[in-house]
Formats: sequence, structure tokens, C-alpha cells
Amino acid sequence: MDLLLQVLVNGILQGGLYAIMALGLALVWGVLNIVNLAHGAFIMLGAYISWYSFSWLGLDPFIGLPLTAVLMFGVGYAIQRGILNLVARAPMFNTLLITFGLEVVLTYLAQLVFSADFRTINPSYSGRNIDVLGVTIPVVRLAASGLAILLTLVMWRFLLHTRLGRAIRATAQNLPAARLHGVEPRHLYAVTFGLGLALAGAAGGLYGTVSQINPYIGATLTAKSFAISIIGGLDTPLGVIAGGLVLGLIEALTTLYVGPTFADVASFGVLVLVLIVRPSGLLGRTA
Amino acid sequence: MRPLRIPLILIVLIALALLPLYGSDTIVQFGISTLLLAVLAQGWNIIGGYAGYPSFGNSAFYGLGAYGVGIAMVQWQLPFAVGLALGVILAVVFAICLGIPVLRLKGHYFAIATLALAQVMAAIVSNVELAGQNIGLVLPPLNDDALFYELSLVLLVAATLTVWWLTRSRFGFGLIAIRENEEGAVVMGVDTTRYKVLAFALAGVFSALAGGIHAYWITFLDPESAFDITLNVKMIIMAVFGGPGTILGPIVGSFILSAISEFLSSEVTSIAGLFFGVVIVVAVVLMPRGLADVARRFHRTGWRYFIENIRMHRL
Amino acid sequence: MSPILEARGLTRRFAGLVAVHDVSFSLSPGEILGFIGPNGAGKTTLISLLSGTLAPTEGEVWFEGRRIDRLAAFRRARLGIGRTFQIMQPFPGLSVLDNVAVGALFGRGRGQSKLALARESARECLEFVGLGKHVDHRAEDLGGPDRKRLELAKALAMQPRVLLCDEVMAGLNLVEIDEVIDIIRKVRDTGISVIVIEHVIKAIRTLSDRIMVLHHGEKIADGAPDSVLTDSRVVEAYLGKKRS
Repeated sequence: MDLLLQVLVNGILQGGLYAIMALGLALVWGVLNIVNLAHGAFIMLGAYISWYSFSWLGLDPFIGLPLTAVLMFGVGYAIQRGILNLVARAPMFNTLLITFGLEVVLTYLAQLVFSADFRTINPSYSGRNIDVLGVTIPVVRLAASGLAILLTLVMWRFLLHTRLGRAIRATAQNLPAARLHGVEPRHLYAVTFGLGLALAGAAGGLYGTVSQINPYIGATLTAKSFAISIIGGLDTPLGVIAGGLVLGLIEALTTLYVGPTFADVASFGVLVLVLIVRPSGLLGRTA
Repeated sequence: MRPLRIPLILIVLIALALLPLYGSDTIVQFGISTLLLAVLAQGWNIIGGYAGYPSFGNSAFYGLGAYGVGIAMVQWQLPFAVGLALGVILAVVFAICLGIPVLRLKGHYFAIATLALAQVMAAIVSNVELAGQNIGLVLPPLNDDALFYELSLVLLVAATLTVWWLTRSRFGFGLIAIRENEEGAVVMGVDTTRYKVLAFALAGVFSALAGGIHAYWITFLDPESAFDITLNVKMIIMAVFGGPGTILGPIVGSFILSAISEFLSSEVTSIAGLFFGVVIVVAVVLMPRGLADVARRFHRTGWRYFIENIRMHRL
Repeated sequence: MSPILEARGLTRRFAGLVAVHDVSFSLSPGEILGFIGPNGAGKTTLISLLSGTLAPTEGEVWFEGRRIDRLAAFRRARLGIGRTFQIMQPFPGLSVLDNVAVGALFGRGRGQSKLALARESARECLEFVGLGKHVDHRAEDLGGPDRKRLELAKALAMQPRVLLCDEVMAGLNLVEIDEVIDIIRKVRDTGISVIVIEHVIKAIRTLSDRIMVLHHGEKIADGAPDSVLTDSRVVEAYLGKKRS
């Protein structure tokens, strides 16, 4: 029983992290209709930025998160304005292909620049745990998950209640009307994509504190982010919380009852199942 | 096809067929890899180019073909041909069972679903005892590169003839109708589900055969290499660069990109992946309909062709 | 004479909205039946229920004595139900000829299996609707009125027994409307029964043998054109209640 409880808590903690991982993808997808196959590679990039900030500048990964986020925002703005913009009005397949290509480029560049070693971000408190009801919770994991959920909720408020957030949604829903209101779509699209990558970068920074980083984690993280976004539904940013929790719990339970190698299989199985039964996700509107 | 083309194609075909006689060992080996990649691109062309359903997971079929050969030859001591047949059967069953639910999804959802499927194949197979689990299987060696080369060439010809048949058959027209306007195709009487699954299975058959030949050639397979997901990158970019929805496009795309990649690899190691990524990005922006379209329109519009593509599609 | 197409108590609900409610009617062989009604009355939804694009929440559809509301759309097409779309949907990458050839290849029965013969049929259909000159043009190059004719040709190539036309005259000028009226009459003369949804009341009155009126998803009138068009409920539906 204790083991089950521990596994469930692990799953929930992982779920929080998953939520922030998928949030950037869901934002860009739901708002701009950009399916970013390179999302995981950007998470990886954010993780490396945090790692280098920690190793070279001694910056605590949680405190240094804004730095990572700002840098990634810049990267995102540049990529959207300079590259993705060029295929914005082409069939969706073109965007799929371009982001596919970006993923490949990023992975190889990372391999060249950062080498293939595994790394983790290990602040001084990374070994500490707290014990609640017989369940061991690593402090770092708790902080990461908590911060992740917080960021997700902040994002939700931002999109729904601030002027910029509403401008973004308006542009996504009705481009000509937004133009008539003086919105410069290219700038706004770039800001949105920048936000998406900032979130990915933040997720990467958090990810680096609890898991190992290497140049190749991009593909798996992309697939998982998709799974989470689709399971949770794209209609509300809160969907990723639901999706993240579902995925985290399924992986934890599968690892416990079936075996660790099946964790990925189980989560993708759920993804395919959700796609077949209810493509709009658990929290989405009916199709 | 214009009449001038056919003799030209025949000449190239004969030259290719005779390559093992005058080419060095390295060239023949390069030839085998390229021909198999071209087969994968052609297979992708059927489901992605003609039917309009871009599959990011045909590597799954490739791996199934490899394991079909591996299991048949190593575990059951059956001949290579039977192994190939087993691989094809596995691919078709996979295409039907997973195709029916997954092909109901719209374009990008389908792409994501196939991407996810491709990623789990290695994990699933590494738990199957019959497939040698994580260790893989070692096949009986056959040191005859020329044979593998000719086999690959025959397979490519078969795949290309199939695509050619598509362009003049009711089935092919149905696929194109599905690609151009699926709703419209349905009300005109096209059984879209059946046709999509058939196209998927057809792509799967060719991919599996390529995987089977490759496995026997390198004499070894394990989950990671058999279900190599980088193949998806290559086959898609080759088909798209050459011209999706055309008969020769994928072949031209594979030959050119393989040659350049090979050249770059000899100069700077591990640059090949980077190269493909950059090519995809540049090609999608400047020539999204591939070389075939460039060839068709260039003499009319010249360099403006590329600029036009950007102007048409950018925000 | 037994009806060729019959709707019995057709109802279609979308989450919270009833688009079509308990609509019954029958179409006789060789008849031209007009559907009219204010915008949002449910006309296109009703057509989609007949062609199989949508499934009914309640009710039945009968075709040539067979119940078909459970059949997939493509099967109904193969049985002989053809339809045009309000928002024209050609196959953009194909030529005008090949667009129509698809209809010949997949239409009633199992269609033509030979491409050459299908193209022959397609040519004839294009001549029939007056697009003979555009045979080799790209479908996407056609202008609005020509696209409407292309839609008709595509549906005709299927050799349907029933043709469902959804606003084929929208956006056409008076001359073009007359031409379309002629084409539909010719279609009926070849033995095809036609349902025509239109907003152009004058055209519907000249063309239809009978008119049915939908309002808020319900049938409010069904009969000879002159009596239907002067029915007070119909006038009210279009113009609102008269001040007494």
C-alpha cells in the first residue's frame, strides 16, 4: 500500500512537470495553429541553458529560470519572424515539415556543441527529501512540480484576462478583423511563439533538475507533449494539467504493475486511444 | 509521360543495373543504401504524396520487414524469400489494424499518431523473446553485395511501376480525390476508409520489403536499428524534395540528397543529419512542391519561382 | 407511383440545437421538388441527412423502397444519390475533365473501371452543362458561375437517380440563372429526380413541380408552387408577422 501511494505521488509530481512541458506546445498549437514538431528539442535547449547558467554562473536553476525563459523567448521570436512566418499561409503540412527539420538541426547542433554526455543540474539541496505519510518526496521534484503548476495557472490568467493575452487570442481567431483593429500580426505571432518557447525553456530548466539531459531527449519529449496536449484538449490551458496528470499517473502505474520499459508504450497507447475516441481531448469541446 | 522520356529512363535503368560490374565496392554499397531509401520514399509517396496523409511512422513497417526476415531465418530456419513474405504479412496486418482507427484522423493528428507509433515500436519489440529482445538477431551471412544491389533495384522498379499504375487507375484517382477534397470524394462514391487503408498497406509492403533486404544485407538487427526513426526524416524529405505526388520525384530526391549527404559525410562526420534538417527547412520555404514542380515551372518563371512561393505563403 | 426518395420524421440535433425537426416528405420519380426557407431553416442540414454526410438523430430515409439512413455516404452515392455543395468544392489539383471523371469512376453501381471510358463520360457531362470548352483547364481557374456548372457535371457523371442541388443559383445573374434552369430541366428530362434548394424565389417557382418550405427546421408548407408561395405562414416566415 505504501508503495502504491509512493508511486501515485511520483506520478502526480511528474504530472505537474509534464503540464508545463506541454503548455508551450498547446499554446502555440491552439492559438496559432502551428504544430511544432521541434518542441521537445526546445525543451532540451532550455535545459542546457539552465545547466550552463548553473555551471558557469552559479545561478540556482529555480532562480535562474526567468533568464532561461527570456533567452528562449528571444529565440522563439526570431524563429517565428524569420522562418515559420514564411509558411504561415501554406498548408499545415509545410509547417510540420519545417519544424521537423528544425528538430533535426537542433539535435545535431546540440550534439556538436554540448557533446552527447548525460548531465543533470544538481543544486546543493538536490539530495534532500521530505517525508509525508510514509511517502518520500524529493524537495527538488516538489519545487519543480509546484512551480510548473503555478506557471500554468499564470499563463491561463494571462491569456484570458490581460490585453496582450486577448490580442493574441483575437488575432488567432480572426486575422483580418484583428488587422483592422491595428494589430500587427507578424509581431503578435512572433510574440506568441516566443512565449511558447519561453515556456518550453522554463520546462527544460525544471526538467534538468529532476532528470538527465542529453541532445537526444527532444523527440521523446515532443511526443509526450503532444500526448499531453491531446489528452487534455487544446481549448483551455488547464487542459495540459489534466493531460499531464493523466500521463504521469499512467506511466507511474504501468511502471509499477507491468514494468519500466512499458511506461512509454502505455502513454502512447493512451494517446492513440484518445485520438481515436475523442480527438478534442478530455477537457475539450465535443468535436 | 512524354515519349522522349521512356528511352532515357531505360538507359538510366540499364546503367544502374550494370553498376556492380564497373563500380567499386563502396559505390555498390552506397547504391544499395540509396536504392532502399528511394523505395522508402516511393512507399511514402503513395500514402503521403498521393493520398495526402503524411505518415511520420513508416519506419515501423521497415522494422517489421526486418524482423520478419530475422525471425523466419534465425528462429525458424526458413529461406530468405519466406522471411520477406512474413515481413510483408506483418506489415499488412499492422496497416489494417492500426490504419483503420488512425486514418480517420485529420492531417496533422494522423502525423502525430504515426510519429507516436513509430517511437514505441522499438520499445515493444525489445520485449518480444522471439525477436531476440534487446540483443537482437544475427542472420546467416551472405557476402554478395551485387545480389542485394540488384534486389534493391528490382524493388525500386516495382515500387515505381506501382506508382505509375496509380496515376492511370481508378484506385489512384480515388486517392488523389481523397487528397484534394475528402468530403467531396465521399459524396462521389469513393470508399475513403478502404482506399486509405489500402494505400497505407501498400506503402507498408514496400517499406517492409526494403527493411527485409537491408536486414539480410547487414546481417544483424536489433530494435533500435530496425525501427530507426531517422529513416522517417530521410524518406519524407527525399519524397518532398523530389516532388510528392509524382512518379519519379521521390527517386530523384533520394538520389540527389543521398549523394550530397555521402559527400558531406566524407568531409565532416556527423554533419549528415544537420544537412538533412537544413535542406528540409530551405526546401519547404522555397520549393514546397519539390523539384518536379521546379522543373515544370522554371523555364516559364525563372528565379521568380522561389520568390513567388515565399510571397504566396508568408504572413 | 411510389416515391423514389422518402424522408420519415427526420430529426437532427446538434448539442443543444435542433436543426431539423420531424420532417417528412416524398419525392416522386421525375419530379422537381423545390426547398425554400429563410436562412438557417435547416435546408442544407436536411440535404446532408439525405446524402449521408450527417446521420439523423431520429427518423428514416428511404430510397427506391430501401431504408438507407444507416448507410455511409459513399454507399448512398453508389446507389444513385448525387449532391452538389453550396460552397463549391472542386478537386483543385485536377483538370476540369478529371474532376468530373472521378464521378464517372465511382458513381452508381461500381462506376467505370477504365479511366479512358470515364473521361469519355466526363466529356459528355461537361458538354451537357455547357462547359465543353473548359475540359482541359485547371479546376481552380474556373470562375464562380462555371464552378457551379462543374459541381453539376460532377454529380451527373455519377449517373444518379436523384440529384440534390444545394443553391446552385446563388450569386448568378439573371441570364446565368435562366441557363441553370434549363440545365436542371434537361437533367429531369433524362429521368433524374431533382431536389433544388434555392433562395431565388422566381426561379424556384418556374422550375419546381412542387415546393416545400422549411422554417426553424420544420416543414411548414408542401404543395404546388403558387399555393405555397401565397400561403400566409410562408409569407410570415420570410417577412415576419404582418401588422394588422
